[in-house]
Amino acid sequence: MRRSSILLVVTVIGFALPFTTDISAQTTAFASKAESDTVKYGKTPWEYEPYNRFEKPYNRFFLDTLEYPGYGRHIPEPEYVDSVKIGFIGPIIGPIPGLPGSLKTLELKVNQRVIRWDGYPVSHLAPIGTKMLQGTQLAVEQANARGGYRGKIPYSLIVRNDNGNWRSSGRETIMLAYKDSVWAILGTVDGANSHIAIRAALKAEIPVMNTADTDPTFVETRIPWVFRCITDDRQMCYLLADFAFKKLGLKRIAALRAVNRYGRMSIDEFRDAATRLGHPFMAELQYEEGDTDFSRQLRRIQSLNADGVITYGNAKESALVLKQMRSMGMNQWFFGSDRMVTKEFLDIVGKNHGNVAAGYPYDPTRKDPEYLQFIKDFRNRFGEEPETYAAHAYDGMNMIIEAIEKAGLNRALIRDQLAAMSNYEGVTGRIELDAVFSDRSPAFLAILKDSKLEFYTQDEIFSDKIEF
Amino acid sequence: MHRIFLILAVATSLAPKGLCQSGPTITLAGEPYVYKEWESFTEESTHGGLINDHIFFLEADGDSLWIGTEGGLVLYENGKWKSWTEEDGLPWKVVMGLAKDPRTGELWLALFGEGIARFSGGHFEHFTQMNSGLLNDVVYGVDIQGDNVWVATTAGISRYNQVTGEWAVFNEKHAPMEEVWTYNVDAAEDRVYFAVWGGGILEWDVKTQVWTDYVDPDGEMEIDLYRDDGLVHVITTSASYIDNVLWAGTYFGLSRYDRRNWRGYMDIDSGLPSNFINLAVGRNGTSCYSCTDKGLGVLVDFETDTWVTYKQDTEDAETWTAHVMVGNQEIKTMSTNLDLPNHFTICVEFMGDDVWIGTGHGLARGIGNGYYDGLRGKGSSAGSFKGPTNPK
Repeated sequence: MRRSSILLVVTVIGFALPFTTDISAQTTAFASKAESDTVKYGKTPWEYEPYNRFEKPYNRFFLDTLEYPGYGRHIPEPEYVDSVKIGFIGPIIGPIPGLPGSLKTLELKVNQRVIRWDGYPVSHLAPIGTKMLQGTQLAVEQANARGGYRGKIPYSLIVRNDNGNWRSSGRETIMLAYKDSVWAILGTVDGANSHIAIRAALKAEIPVMNTADTDPTFVETRIPWVFRCITDDRQMCYLLADFAFKKLGLKRIAALRAVNRYGRMSIDEFRDAATRLGHPFMAELQYEEGDTDFSRQLRRIQSLNADGVITYGNAKESALVLKQMRSMGMNQWFFGSDRMVTKEFLDIVGKNHGNVAAGYPYDPTRKDPEYLQFIKDFRNRFGEEPETYAAHAYDGMNMIIEAIEKAGLNRALIRDQLAAMSNYEGVTGRIELDAVFSDRSPAFLAILKDSKLEFYTQDEIFSDKIEF
Repeated sequence: MHRIFLILAVATSLAPKGLCQSGPTITLAGEPYVYKEWESFTEESTHGGLINDHIFFLEADGDSLWIGTEGGLVLYENGKWKSWTEEDGLPWKVVMGLAKDPRTGELWLALFGEGIARFSGGHFEHFTQMNSGLLNDVVYGVDIQGDNVWVATTAGISRYNQVTGEWAVFNEKHAPMEEVWTYNVDAAEDRVYFAVWGGGILEWDVKTQVWTDYVDPDGEMEIDLYRDDGLVHVITTSASYIDNVLWAGTYFGLSRYDRRNWRGYMDIDSGLPSNFINLAVGRNGTSCYSCTDKGLGVLVDFETDTWVTYKQDTEDAETWTAHVMVGNQEIKTMSTNLDLPNHFTICVEFMGDDVWIGTGHGLARGIGNGYYDGLRGKGSSAGSFKGPTNPK
């Protein structure tokens, strides 16, 4: 989306480097002006705002709550429905072991009926999509146990699979809207597929709740039908940057990230923050999804004498990068995305992990009763542990159901109800929707200590009670 | 004269804000044409002749109008309605775009989620990503240039040569596309333009066969650093090329590019009723019609920044009002008889002196009796441009 970002980085570096020694003085000088701007998109700290040291923008976007001024609210409710349909779209068909990328036949039981896909293309994101579907299912089943829509009509989940490589999410969204006639949609994971899905939803005028795509640009499109109940990479990158540069005092960070859209877009705010603090990346190297050998890129980083390495990619590749770093004697801090906070990552890196930190959208160790009940219910239903994608999907589907209960069967009115949920108490904590309906609740920092992940708030990190 | 306006514009941009706010009274440099007389059509008012009120695209065909709707294809001809649905062989009911081939007389349809179709001799020929070179079945727009049918899909651009039967595809591997989500296409004899959602505007030079991309120079989603430094935003929704001028619609405002200078328009500095532009279509190099979620914003005269904006002033207003503006300063309002119940405007088309608009709930035709381009009396002492335009 920001093809010019590399050029801009070069340009900004050119401006930023001469000021490196007296940035704090400039920060002070501009602070009073910045403090007068009470509303800030994305809770962006002043020092991370674009062009903050050079120019005040002609116009700022995403500060006013998105409106839908169309006709949809006048569409009458249907006289009869036998179920209240809600759509799910996500990558749920994974690779067959030993035959990556093969076609697969899958049977899935949803709403007491078996859905069968024959020869459907598979997705490497299926583990995430499957968890998302489980969280969604649990929310729907619990709503039906309470009596369904307004105590009378059962909710039903209409499940469609998407596959990032085939960019199928657009068509699947259209089919959910026009053929399945669902009232709202939950999904999907991959950034590109999510963008495609919401563009389709915009034309079809149907609400979409996203619970898994942390791409900052996902909501930066002014689509008034889109909601996201997960803290995004903008918030997580700000926290990671604060930790790396302000807490740890690092200055020489190198990046090694996936070449795909996730790697490219999600690291963006960290890269910009580094540049704006006067510490532009020493290098930004890439790898292909599925790569297992990163020694060439790591040797380059080793030669740069970097004091930290950041990656953005899937758990497996991130873990392999870290493992190879340590085996090469590279003991720098290792930073990464929430996709590292998984059992798969921990299993691969083993005990010799060293200093590792990742952004995370919520605190999975929280002890409040609603969250603990969710974990218990999830275990009972699926016989396995929930994680971030299941928990956020559970919250997202509950938000949809609550909106439908209040609005009735009208897509525009359901949208309005979701738009009104500026503060929603979910099992993942308080969800704070901003003017573009994206969750701006504070991110957490996951620190790997003795092979266990610990989670910290921004205040805790800077409290001086914890040593890193 | 042009230089005078440029000087005024520069002086305005450099003047202190307080000075601008207390500046001289703005008057019209001439009278813009205002569409006061309209005919409105809904499914109800046409007794089902218009089969669906959600209008996605309009294509003039002489005195007839092809209409792409959420529920099928419609032709309005000689005051009568004819429609095609899936029962009549239409491959898919949601028609997002249309293009009439001037050489063959065939109609090409962009089908939302089901590829494209060629309508010829009463039959539909269906092209999908499974039986053709289409990059994706989610198609937002289609247009004709010479022998080629250009298709804007959600996964890139496809091109079909009607003579050779060859397909070509353009995505991030073959064109300077940061993103591949193509949203709209406008083909002229010498150039073909694409609005690429997240990727700005993409230009295909027919003669040199070279792509050029235009993006927002500041590279940031949450701001526009300078008004006239280039495209206002990369979330583009439409491209319209006429008289060597490109008009680009975005969800953040409108841009005009004359191949030398860019000009940006937003609701804070112009007659645009909203920055959320579904489609912007140039009537000529100095006039553009922007279909927004809050009405139709018409830049009537580029030089004098004169606008006529058509919208419902209140949600329950029975008719729309025309607001004559210079920049964002309202000069006067005029009543119209346009009575569509909602001003969420999606598409626009010109038919001689008349203008057609499609909305989220109905279709309307502005009757252009005595229509004229630009401003009447422009340059006379009575109607000279007297003041700068001010930000809100």
